[in-house]
Amino acid sequence: MTIRAIAGLAALNLGIAVLGLALLFAVRGFSRLADLGRLAGLGYLLGVAFFGVVWTELLVVGVPFTGLALVATLVLGIAASLGVGLALGRPRPGRDPGVDRPVTALLLSASGIALVGLLLEALFRAARLQSLQAFDAWAFWVPKAKAIYFFEGLDEQIFTTAAGPTYPPLVPILDAAAFHAMGGADTVTLHLQFWFLIVGALAALAGTLAGHAPAWALWPSLLVVVVAPRFGERLLTPQADVLVDCFFVVSALLLALWLRDGCGWRLAAAAVLLAGAASTKREGLLFAAILLAAVLVASWTRRRSTLLRIGLAAAVVGLAAPWRLWYRSRDLTGEAPSELGLGSSLDRFLDALRLSAEVLVETSLWSLVPFLFLGAIVIAAIWGDRRLSWFFGAVVVLAFLGGAWVTFSYSSLPVTADEALNPIVRYTGAIVILAAAAMPLLVGTERRGKAAGR
Amino acid sequence: MVQERAVNEPPAADRVRLVAIAVWLVVALGVIAVRFPDAFGDANRTARANAALDLVDRELGAGNSVVPDQALLLEARAWIPRRGTFRVAVGERQDGWTDLTAPFAETYATYFLLPRRTEPDAVWILCFACDRAEFPAADAVWEGENGLSLLRGER
Repeated sequence: MTIRAIAGLAALNLGIAVLGLALLFAVRGFSRLADLGRLAGLGYLLGVAFFGVVWTELLVVGVPFTGLALVATLVLGIAASLGVGLALGRPRPGRDPGVDRPVTALLLSASGIALVGLLLEALFRAARLQSLQAFDAWAFWVPKAKAIYFFEGLDEQIFTTAAGPTYPPLVPILDAAAFHAMGGADTVTLHLQFWFLIVGALAALAGTLAGHAPAWALWPSLLVVVVAPRFGERLLTPQADVLVDCFFVVSALLLALWLRDGCGWRLAAAAVLLAGAASTKREGLLFAAILLAAVLVASWTRRRSTLLRIGLAAAVVGLAAPWRLWYRSRDLTGEAPSELGLGSSLDRFLDALRLSAEVLVETSLWSLVPFLFLGAIVIAAIWGDRRLSWFFGAVVVLAFLGGAWVTFSYSSLPVTADEALNPIVRYTGAIVILAAAAMPLLVGTERRGKAAGR
Repeated sequence: MVQERAVNEPPAADRVRLVAIAVWLVVALGVIAVRFPDAFGDANRTARANAALDLVDRELGAGNSVVPDQALLLEARAWIPRRGTFRVAVGERQDGWTDLTAPFAETYATYFLLPRRTEPDAVWILCFACDRAEFPAADAVWEGENGLSLLRGER
């Protein structure tokens, strides 16, 4: 609750953003200085995913999580990434020639940034003095973070006896890093770490979409999702739901753009983000599988990129494996339902489908976002980029079915939208946040529209 | 004139597309116009409510709904060494307890008191109307209302 704690958090997140930008330099380079700012949000999310995945593997093999080790990870990661970028001859930012953009687009962008900024400022004040209330947060997410902070590793007692023992440790690692940065286990100021994640995710979406979607489509799409009733309530809760959604949505955006321009660096970045998702929450693996399946649906004619897609899947699975080996070596189970849940009845499946549909169209949670998303997919299917409509349509359908499968397969979950009993509302949030990334491309792209690989 | 108009006007399919996008955009802007003031107001209300909390309320958060007396947790944190261990003993429900007290007192204490660990034979006991006869060698270092006390036993 002090300025020192806030300054420490800001420094940590700046370090993570620099790490992510260095990773982007390694995989694509920056030909223009403006790209550094435009892709800072994407860099930040990449940094979070990379830092979290690396530390998940390090903790599994027993490396102590100390303040010094944390700083060393950032410094070594930045140095190695810059070294790789230089060795590969990636373009370095030069003098920006300046790009003429229409005044209306600039005004729209400025208005959008101002409105989003206004909301974020209010959320900052709310987060700064927020007490820890959510059950899952104090029952296991934050205790695990405290355990990593105080005991410098995956403490056997806490990690095997707290609820959700198979949940991956990326968020507790990030929280523990925040505790180091703040100078103590300050569970109040910790909420600001989640505010930084939201800022980073919004900047990632806006920066990645800039140049690919017109401002008139981009900013309304972002705003309409940000002001949905559900988001103000839960954005800053120190749990893993929002972060796994951010990884999923930005990965989906990168893969959609890859479908259009074939830039390989987008696949590399998506692999890091999806590995981060798999290390953040159990649904992360499901989301990764959904995106890979949707890419297959939308690009089945592109045989040449089969190897790239296999590489993406292998990277995600390979990086997700060590944590799974760690908990299995301690006889912990429960990440997946027994028999994949196929032992449940048809009635339960239909009930699960009905529940997923009811939650998705619940206007008191998401206002009209799902309907706008559906409208955008239809517009793109008829008049726009059909490959994008196939891709996002497949993602929505598969994610929807995935949510129904979760309710169906875990027979202990009651078929209810009560969040204390069933995660379907939190899960559906991923589909709704996806709208912010997808709608600008779906409504803002004419058929045959092709953009440069920015 | 007729030819000029034909050149400048978009084909029918494009016109329909533009109308569809316009409808989409109008709905999106309408939602933003309706929802933005609410979202901004909600965030401000939350900020004000959070700022109005005192330091202890803010630090305990959900613990205020679990543990009937804040003093028990603060005393436990002050008395039990950081490398020490504790256990939670819960007896019959008392006046002033909530539905969360008995089932979640240990879970909350485990979170709040870290790096102090829980241990079945710990010297320190957070007693929630527990049977004191089970701990004959333990002395109360703090006692409150609602059956709460902090006990220190012997190894």
